[in-house]
Amino acid sequence: MAHGTTHQHDVVIIGGGGAGLRASIAIAEENPSFSVACVSKVYPMRSHTVTAEGGAAAKIKPNDSLEDHIYDTISGADWLADQDAVEYFVNEAPAEMIQLEHWGCPWSREGDGSVAVRPFGGMKIERTWFAADKTGFHMLHSLFQTTLKYGNIVRYDEHFATRLLIDAHGRCRGCAAIELLTGRVRAILGKAVIICTGGAGRVFPFTTNGSIKTGDGMAMAYRAGVALKDMEFIQYHPTGLPGTGILITEASRGEGGILVNRDGYRYLQDYDLGEALDVTDPRHPQKRAMELGPRDRLSQCFIKEMWAGRTIETRDGHVVHLDLRHLGEAKIDRKIPFVRELSRNYAGIDPVHKPIPVRPVVHYVMGGIDVGGNSATSVPGLYAAGECACVSINGANRLGSNSLTELLVFGAQAGRHAARFAMDNPGYDVAELEAQAEDEGARIRRTWFDPSRTGGERIATLRTELHDAMEDGAGIYRDAESLQAACDKVAELRERYGNVTLDDRTHSFNTELTAALELGSLLDVAEAMAHSGLERTESRGSHQRLDHTERNDDDFLAHSLAFRREDGGPPRIEYGPVTITKWPPGARTYGAESGLKRPRGDGT
Amino acid sequence: MSGRYHRPHGWAWFLARPGYLRFMARELTGFFVAGYLVLLLVTLCRLGAGEAAFAQWLQELSTPSWMFAHVVALVASVWHSVTWFAAVPQAMPIFMGEKRLPAPLAAVVMGYGPWLTVTAVIVWGVLR
Amino acid sequence: MRTEQTMTLEIFRYHPETDSEPYFQAYEVPYDEDWVVLDAINWIKDHVDGSLTHRWSCRMGVCGSCGMMVNGDPKLTCAAFLKDYYPRPIKVEPLVNFPVERDLVVSLDGFMEKLQAVKPYIIRDDVNDTTGGEYRQSPAELARYKQYSMCINCMLCYSACPVAGHEEEFLGPAALALGHRYNRDSRDRGRAERLDVMLAGEAIWGCTFVGECTVVCPKHVDPAGAIQQAKAVAAQEYFKRFVMPRGAKGAET
Repeated sequence: MAHGTTHQHDVVIIGGGGAGLRASIAIAEENPSFSVACVSKVYPMRSHTVTAEGGAAAKIKPNDSLEDHIYDTISGADWLADQDAVEYFVNEAPAEMIQLEHWGCPWSREGDGSVAVRPFGGMKIERTWFAADKTGFHMLHSLFQTTLKYGNIVRYDEHFATRLLIDAHGRCRGCAAIELLTGRVRAILGKAVIICTGGAGRVFPFTTNGSIKTGDGMAMAYRAGVALKDMEFIQYHPTGLPGTGILITEASRGEGGILVNRDGYRYLQDYDLGEALDVTDPRHPQKRAMELGPRDRLSQCFIKEMWAGRTIETRDGHVVHLDLRHLGEAKIDRKIPFVRELSRNYAGIDPVHKPIPVRPVVHYVMGGIDVGGNSATSVPGLYAAGECACVSINGANRLGSNSLTELLVFGAQAGRHAARFAMDNPGYDVAELEAQAEDEGARIRRTWFDPSRTGGERIATLRTELHDAMEDGAGIYRDAESLQAACDKVAELRERYGNVTLDDRTHSFNTELTAALELGSLLDVAEAMAHSGLERTESRGSHQRLDHTERNDDDFLAHSLAFRREDGGPPRIEYGPVTITKWPPGARTYGAESGLKRPRGDGT
Repeated sequence: MSGRYHRPHGWAWFLARPGYLRFMARELTGFFVAGYLVLLLVTLCRLGAGEAAFAQWLQELSTPSWMFAHVVALVASVWHSVTWFAAVPQAMPIFMGEKRLPAPLAAVVMGYGPWLTVTAVIVWGVLR
Repeated sequence: MRTEQTMTLEIFRYHPETDSEPYFQAYEVPYDEDWVVLDAINWIKDHVDGSLTHRWSCRMGVCGSCGMMVNGDPKLTCAAFLKDYYPRPIKVEPLVNFPVERDLVVSLDGFMEKLQAVKPYIIRDDVNDTTGGEYRQSPAELARYKQYSMCINCMLCYSACPVAGHEEEFLGPAALALGHRYNRDSRDRGRAERLDVMLAGEAIWGCTFVGECTVVCPKHVDPAGAIQQAKAVAAQEYFKRFVMPRGAKGAET
């Protein structure tokens, strides 16, 4: 692996998805003299933002209020969100969404030409902007195509970043990245770095996430000494196609779809999620109730139905039915055409005529790289935004349609703050950083291409064992025993990772090498998830412990912070405060009495 | 290191997909349309040259080989027209509000309809 | 349903460091009627031959990574089911009309340049001013370009286009469809700028309307239709510029 050339920029962005592209534009717009490097292991339009379907939330309609969006988000998060961050997010969201509209995103429209909104789970009112049911696709392509107008955004497509470069003063100054085409390790330098590499759903076997979502950025920051925050909170989306894990969007329920068990019964009404209004009732679908409850609750209800023997057993595991038939062909084709296409292609079901079999599927990591209010990490000059970061606005459970908006709001914020840092901290020692990148190249060569390396472990074997361990140990319901087993298994796999041998020891486009590096990331991220879960002896949001079934605000209204240990031992888990401003922790209710809580001191 | 591999392009590219053959058929039938136009021009010239010349020209055209050529040209021209009527809705979408006029209907409105009308007028004019 | 049956994939192999010519390698894979061709390729990579090289990510037909020639047809391999070929062998090759980087991976450099050339973004002066709220756009105005905004850049259309394979100057189906998408967007004011690009040389005129790009498009974008419409617009523009040179334009006002 020949070492490559050095490339100097002002800001380096790792990741070319929604957050990375938004950050790139923010910097390019506000600092036209800056050179922005956008480093991505895939072409930007392949990034996983592309698969998001249902929509993006922001207050736009006069019947909505910023305060309602804030309250929905905080209660949805089971009060683990930082309320100042949520306020910032909700306040910034409308302008960011309008900006994306100006950049060409083909939002679905009302008759008067204003953007249309639809209801989404856990939201008191319809506030989710959508582009039919390919919202993420349109957002990503609009952002990507908009970046093409800036001469000062330099893309490094198909460059796999492996290590952050830190200068003698402890400031992050770039990354080492493998250029896939040639296998050369390049030093891509900048005065500040933003990680926007997305989530890590591929830690689990059954996930909506594409193959690229392996937590590389989380792992890179973790190795550089940054804490991974709230990693025990993994979102299961209640409606994935069995077998493939392909997502059937929440918008299908926002448009009126219902969930029924093997008896055709709308089982959610048995779990404090409100009354099952008839589908012909004009009040259906009711916001913050039944099928429009939050994702964590709906996924947990599925498990309880399964335990009660009321789900349907299939070759790909237990399922319930998502019934859209009453919506009719015209509405399905107009509002959720992709749902029909995916169901037909991958489940052999036409939802116009038959209910879709669905089951909960790993969808999103609420936790991530610990960042503060300005998207900065504990390493000076290092920022993070998007799913890889934990601000936290999502707390213990993210509401559907907040994540796409999060990419925009915090992508832009991280961009602005990183640019400011770059201006305030101009010079860096190129030779020092180049040497680190050369070291990294040498390390990769030594680790993976050494002919004497003959451990014989296959990547796929370890990955499968990791999947099984995490599904069994850190699934929707966990307990001390299962989480301990997952921790032990991950530790064992980390040992065996040293024995992984590659079939391919060539340079050009070595995707077996990148798969091995991705496995390394998955193991680091899984370690943080399992240990953070083991330490949190309460149940909150998506983290449900069978041995500690209640929320415990006295001890755990706190962010977990997992720090990697240099000696390879289990991570050190610490806790940091949750910022509570106006919305004191309360009971998290959905259904009839949902969403009535007002903030303290608001006089109502 | 031998770098990127560029696959060779063969001369017989049009055999690679049935769609390419259909494309070639569409383009080649265009020659018959053009040929028939030349024939019409020649006919006009002969008409201008006097009644005798025109009568002789018509005589020549009624030989079996010319009749055969006419049939071939007719079939080719019809086929060529059909392919263009199929293409018209793609090249000229008609919107009514949010709905786009379905392709078969658009082909009738912009292709077959006017074609049949013009043909009917000509037939009426000739047979009157 | 997974059975004891197997089927054969014959896969195009080429390594730039060791091969001067490509060759085909046959792999026996388990036959599962729920599997797509991509699943079989991943199975080979995981269990048989880690050196087999391909791109993939979402496996739900929207990221556009996994386009390949499957028995001579450009396909998204995440949407090509084994059951539609079983029991005959399946031949898998990299997309044609692109240089091959390695095995099933082709170079997208040319496309990325062409995409940038058509200025695929909203051009207007107040594009960064959000204070006035969203631009209004009626559902009817949206419908006029929506179809052309569905392109996932999967490159199947370039593989189906005989012109894209021969004519370097031709911008190709996906790039032209995206240029046309912005030309038809009621929010855009950049049509003249884009037409400058489209009118040059063979950029758009290279298209002979073979129409196979539309046939293979997995997202029903109809690039062939988009190009013919764009040609009509470009022709009007060309004619206008021809009969009314710049001086005449000034005299109009």
